Amino acid sequence: MAADFILDDVDRNIVAQLRANGRATNQQIADRLGLTGATVSARIRRLEDADKLRVVAVSDFAAHGYNVLIEIAIEVDGRPASDVAAELCELPEVFAAHLVTGRYDIDILVALHDFDEIQTLLLERLTRIDGIRSMTPAIAVDVVKYKFDVAPIESRRMS
Amino acid sequence: MTTAQLDAVDRQLIDILARDARVSNRKIATDLGVTEGTVRGRIKRLQQERLIAFTAITSFGMEDPTKLAFIGIQADIQNVQAIARQIADLPTVNAVIITMGRFTILAVVLFGELDQLHEVASNQILAIPGVHHIETSIAVKTLKYNPRIVRITDADHSPEID
Repeated sequence: MAADFILDDVDRNIVAQLRANGRATNQQIADRLGLTGATVSARIRRLEDADKLRVVAVSDFAAHGYNVLIEIAIEVDGRPASDVAAELCELPEVFAAHLVTGRYDIDILVALHDFDEIQTLLLERLTRIDGIRSMTPAIAVDVVKYKFDVAPIESRRMS
Repeated sequence: MTTAQLDAVDRQLIDILARDARVSNRKIATDLGVTEGTVRGRIKRLQQERLIAFTAITSFGMEDPTKLAFIGIQADIQNVQAIARQIADLPTVNAVIITMGRFTILAVVLFGELDQLHEVASNQILAIPGVHHIETSIAVKTLKYNPRIVRITDADHSPEID
């Protein structure tokens, strides 16, 4: 991440336009902001090249057939939490994993197609990972808010 | 929740747009071997069914040093939906999920400095009537996260595209 990257009001306004409609053309954005299409195009490219911005389609869990979301707080025992978490990250069902402070050591979000998959997840995957002392699940019943426009951005050069 | 019926073209379309939403309908049509009208129609349907949404994702820490915390909330079960909506109205709260488990509500909060976390957790969320107990857990490291797969809620308006 370039530490010397400076964001100005033009960048912020372009990002705001893209948040409202990521499919707006450069010319539409330029017209709204009193810029030229070339400026808009160059600014977007500059932000993307610096891995500060991605203009993308996000898709719902349902579009991928995931109908069950479960958050699991995990206590680790006798093994570094990072090592346990690294193994958890390899599981396809684990959608997100964070190392956390507090009573628990690792927080994961699991996405399943249906509840039947819990059996495979528990008996064939989680029980084979050393160092898990306890798992405390919370079943997602209703997602009231889920903002998705701020996130860690992976470098395109790496992927 | 019903399982979405998506065919191979829908999936390829989602795949292309997840990488870059600014690619033109014409380019997508050429790549997939379908007409521009098909691409336009499919995108519109996927948006209307709230299966996709277009957005600009900015990096953590683009402006402020941004950190993430999980706040587990024990609240009155009778009023859980109203309480969850009040929490969702707080601007630094990024996600609110009603759960069955050790907490009734799970909130994800973005913060810069610790006093900002204290403000939203202990002064704002804990002060909401019906909230009895909170437990805050700071994410020290994100090891896995796919920002392209999300829950698109009622609050997300997907503007019609031309």
